[in-house]
Amino acid sequence: MSTNGDATVKVVPVRHVGQWIAAAIAMVFVAMLVHTLFSKLPTGQYACHLVSGVRRCHQLSEWRFSWDIVGRYFFTSEILHGLLITLELTILSMLVGVILGVAIAVMRLSTNRLLSATAWTYTWFFRGTPVLVQITVWFFIAILYPVISIGIPFTDVTFFHFSTVSVFTPFIAGVVALGLNEAAYMSEIARAGLISVDEGQTEAASSIGMTRQQTLRFVVLPQAMRVIIPPTGNEVISMLKTTSLVSVIGVVELLGAATNIYARNYLIMPLLIVASLWYIVVTTVLSIGQFYLERRFAKGALRTPPPTPIQRLRRDVVGILSKFRTQRGALGETR
Amino acid sequence: MSDPMVEVRGVHKSYGGVEVLRGVDLTVERGEVTCLIGPSGSGKSTLLRCVNHLEKHDAGELRVDGDLVGYEARGGKLYERNDKQICAERSRIGMVFQRFNLFQHLTVLENITIGQMKVKGVQPDNARARARELLARVGLDNKEKNYPSQLSGGQQQRVAIARALAMEPKLMLFDEPTSALDPELVGEVLDVMKDLALSGMTMIVVTHEMNFAREVANTLYFLDAGMIEESGNPREILSAPKSERLRIFLSKVL
Repeated sequence: MSTNGDATVKVVPVRHVGQWIAAAIAMVFVAMLVHTLFSKLPTGQYACHLVSGVRRCHQLSEWRFSWDIVGRYFFTSEILHGLLITLELTILSMLVGVILGVAIAVMRLSTNRLLSATAWTYTWFFRGTPVLVQITVWFFIAILYPVISIGIPFTDVTFFHFSTVSVFTPFIAGVVALGLNEAAYMSEIARAGLISVDEGQTEAASSIGMTRQQTLRFVVLPQAMRVIIPPTGNEVISMLKTTSLVSVIGVVELLGAATNIYARNYLIMPLLIVASLWYIVVTTVLSIGQFYLERRFAKGALRTPPPTPIQRLRRDVVGILSKFRTQRGALGETR
Repeated sequence: MSDPMVEVRGVHKSYGGVEVLRGVDLTVERGEVTCLIGPSGSGKSTLLRCVNHLEKHDAGELRVDGDLVGYEARGGKLYERNDKQICAERSRIGMVFQRFNLFQHLTVLENITIGQMKVKGVQPDNARARARELLARVGLDNKEKNYPSQLSGGQQQRVAIARALAMEPKLMLFDEPTSALDPELVGEVLDVMKDLALSGMTMIVVTHEMNFAREVANTLYFLDAGMIEESGNPREILSAPKSERLRIFLSKVL
């Protein structure tokens, strides 16, 4: 094969030797870890039996990670109920967080100084205190406000009132605490999204006579979503696990359920594994959902939307097959 | 007896102490095309944006179709109009931007229907029919399903013109509509604008296209440092500028 005048010059890519060595070392560690996952530990107990008149003993062993116990508890109703509570807490507090967060972001960007200062203060306060403290405070809120009443400040006029204890059950306190805390973070995410939309879009919307609300709803927010969704997905996944903190005020969610079980039977590790596996399962489902949501809101932003993993897999398979075919074809020709 | 479409009297505008417009007078008759030329920073775009109240002018009087822009005169005072009233005014004044500003998340067709549906309350079917009519008029009837990012600059600007026309404006404002385009795409946009001028649309065009100004404009205004330096018939002004500043400006751009 000559290099000049030949249309099919072969390109030899640079070999990254360092990368290969690093990858090999990484693989050794991965293999070690995988091995421990599926290895057994001696229990210190022996089983003996007579084999053709001779007593033979061997030490009993069990899974290092107690997979049999994990499997036994994975679908128990106590765990599943905890999982349900975790999902409810996540969904409700994210709903509160997203709606309130967008409202606070819009307030923050308002030309009215009082509105934007109020929004700033909200974010400052709720980001500035630990969420664990906030959860506890909302649970004991009745100490500060035994009765909640709506009326005119500094007067005796009240429209309605109710006893705080009757409303703030542990679950409600958890949702309120997580939701309000989340709103502070979501407001910053939403604000970043809103200011990422080019000012020209707002001007164009104004120029065809849209009001400010219409501009926000039909032009700015849909485009801001592209920037808002990835960090929001992050927040949902983070929230899923933050809900485990409400176990301190007695809400029996996923981790709480696992804790309750191992408090009775001391199977600490297997039950922590059960809870962790469920968190991973839900996180995986959420990540997949996020991918498709991002794709949907990328409309118009990219000339060609990125392929879904299934499309990519199909393309790879087709690519490898066709490569295989052409190689065989080339071989056939040379023969 | 004159009943001009746009009347500007002594309009001032400053940004943080810098006076961008320093007493501008300008009249645009119905069905006429007015071109604004001038060096960058002379206030052309600001003047245009004051006409549909994207910018608030600080002093002076600005009337479109006989009505004060952005204010209401009552009992010797000027009351600033609320958001809704200003929006209603703006919906009848089309604007085309230098950087197109098409709604990136909407298809070409949706860009042209959204204003009709959300602002004018037109039924979706009628809005789409009108949008297709306008797309045919600007020569883009095969692009309705595309997103703006999939179009060339010239095509995007033609969609932007169609979007403005969909609101059935009585006045069209063009803010350097060809300045962001590759040279070979300028012609297609100017052609659409010439067509529009011939159909009798009242237009104010901020431009650097002197040939367009000479051919299409009824009146040409030369702005410099926030004031009208010279105005009149474009052929006369461009071939025999009276002011020294216009002469220098033309020697740079022609």
